[in-house]
Amino acid sequence: MKKILIANRGEIAVRVIRACRDMGIATAAVYSECDRAALHVRLADEAWPVGPSAPRESYLRIEAIVDAAKKAGADAVHPGYGFLAENEDFAAACRDAGLVFIGPSPEAITLMGSKTAARRAAIKAGVPVVPGTDEPLSDRASDADVLKVAARVGYPLMLKAVAGGGGKGMRMVAAAAELPGALRAARSEALSAFGDGAVYLERRILSPRHIEVQLLGDHHGTVLPFVERECSIQRRHQKVVEESPSMVVSPELRRRITSAAAAVAKSVGYTNAGTIEFLVDADGSYYFLEMNTRLQVEHPVTEMVTGVDLVQWQIRIARGERLALDPESLLQPKAHAIECRIYAEDPDNGFLPSPGRIQGLRVPQGPGVRDDSGAYEGGEVPIFYDPMISKLITWGDTREHALQRMRRALSEYQVRGIRTTIPFFQWILDDEDFKAGRFDTGFIDRKLRKGPLQEIDALHEDLAAIAAAVHLFTRPVTNGTATAAASRWRDAGRVEALR
Amino acid sequence: MIFEVAIGDRVRTVGIVRKGAVLHVDLDGRRHVVDARRVSDSIVSMLVQLDGASAPSRSVDASFASKPAAGDFDVHLDGRTIPVQIRPAGSFGRQKKEGHATNGAGPQRVASPMPGKVVRVLVNAGDAVKARQGLVVVEAMKMENELRAARDGRVRDVAVKEGQSVDAGAVLLTVE
Repeated sequence: MKKILIANRGEIAVRVIRACRDMGIATAAVYSECDRAALHVRLADEAWPVGPSAPRESYLRIEAIVDAAKKAGADAVHPGYGFLAENEDFAAACRDAGLVFIGPSPEAITLMGSKTAARRAAIKAGVPVVPGTDEPLSDRASDADVLKVAARVGYPLMLKAVAGGGGKGMRMVAAAAELPGALRAARSEALSAFGDGAVYLERRILSPRHIEVQLLGDHHGTVLPFVERECSIQRRHQKVVEESPSMVVSPELRRRITSAAAAVAKSVGYTNAGTIEFLVDADGSYYFLEMNTRLQVEHPVTEMVTGVDLVQWQIRIARGERLALDPESLLQPKAHAIECRIYAEDPDNGFLPSPGRIQGLRVPQGPGVRDDSGAYEGGEVPIFYDPMISKLITWGDTREHALQRMRRALSEYQVRGIRTTIPFFQWILDDEDFKAGRFDTGFIDRKLRKGPLQEIDALHEDLAAIAAAVHLFTRPVTNGTATAAASRWRDAGRVEALR
Repeated sequence: MIFEVAIGDRVRTVGIVRKGAVLHVDLDGRRHVVDARRVSDSIVSMLVQLDGASAPSRSVDASFASKPAAGDFDVHLDGRTIPVQIRPAGSFGRQKKEGHATNGAGPQRVASPMPGKVVRVLVNAGDAVKARQGLVVVEAMKMENELRAARDGRVRDVAVKEGQSVDAGAVLLTVE
């Protein structure tokens, strides 16, 4: 493999470019109109345009991406996550064009990407699943039909997109009355996010924790599981904080849950990187939830506790190498790691997207800190894509150590000009229940209902007022039309007038 | 030089003068001695003499992001982001006298909070609506955001159609 085309944008494209560089492999980026000056384009060895800014006209266009790979003379394509990463047609189109798709086979994507087929595979492998419908609900099913099926599954239940991921096309339904509205919303969101409006029903497990197992499978029949990740800190079913290992997984549970995950993957001949997600309830029972047939956003926490570069291994597996890793060491965490997903969203305003120009950026540094980012000072966060701009990861000897480093890193992190979820993470990191590990997947939504994030205290209000005045008072005068000297005279006049 | 600084609902008066190497900053009648060094156009390193300290020693690294309105900033310091509006003395008082629309009464103009696409319009002109009832769904950054009625009322007019692209601040419909 001499050159890899990265069929993605933003921070994950940058992450893959770095893995390629570390291996001495050349990189080709793709970009939409608004991404011409994006960081992944600036860092890649070459870059090819694939269309207008709307994802459907660029990053989701299979022919355009395959065409770019051919023009670039790439041997392989890395899909990142999101966009076409779990699209079997894309994996097949790469194969047909003689390009190595760095991921599982199109057949495995089809099988495990369909949540209902994946459930059947898990049942066959002897792994417990959450009660629910094994088939998607028909598009033509009437509300009455769906209500009948729902009554069998039991309330509260979850509506989920068959093609889903990232919380899109997903709705919680507490009672029958909410079902018709939630069904319409889930279908429409699924259709717009994945081009497929099919949804299914699943019983909601109460107070569940989200525990998942990273896997790597090679083309020689080996599947290796990694120490678990915990991703219970979610907002509207979207993971926002992930850590490894989990506080609630004993060595005994780790052995059982990682073997179960490997068994499911092996039973379908899975290759490359994938993740099996479980719900674990209060008494330690676990249920297969779904499989993600791609790299996960939270892969760095696994990398930091095992010392394995997962993206490099994806590439090595794709070029036919055997998994030369010690299986035991992958199950023994060597540190505790935590990740916060930094989104361009305003936590003080209902987490509304906050696109725009990054006027200033200060990135945390120092021991135990990693920032996987696609942002730079002067760069734009476009409105067209997922608002995640970076992943901040810290690690330490213990959970407390990793958490304290995260507090330190968040206090160093400044993204000026747009709003981000950094204050939201500071609030989570200071929460007593979070610190003690008392949470489940409903934690954030319950806490947020109780009121706004922390208020600004009197001291910091004073300091902000002083800082603003000092800023205006000492600001060098640079006026587009008037000369600096003239502006100073005018300012002086204004100062006199104010006396 | 005298400014008015608004943070949240509170408007405060700040006076600032240079005294040799330092600045004297009077905030609501209390004096703070500040040693300020400009790091860049948008960053100022301050050493602030707070109550009881013998010298300006509290290190505050402040940086600023400007907003479209002149004098509106986000101030970043101590790991916090604090929105600030700063104006020449007397400005906020004048603004209040001129009178500004408040939230209590009058028609509610439901505006798109960001550029996006109208996915669904859930009501028609003339419909009676309840507080918190969904009115229109706008898709932006891949998420659907449902905009709701602030209070009970009646839809006066709907200004958009499903599928239509809208800019930030565009009025989508009006409830009275």
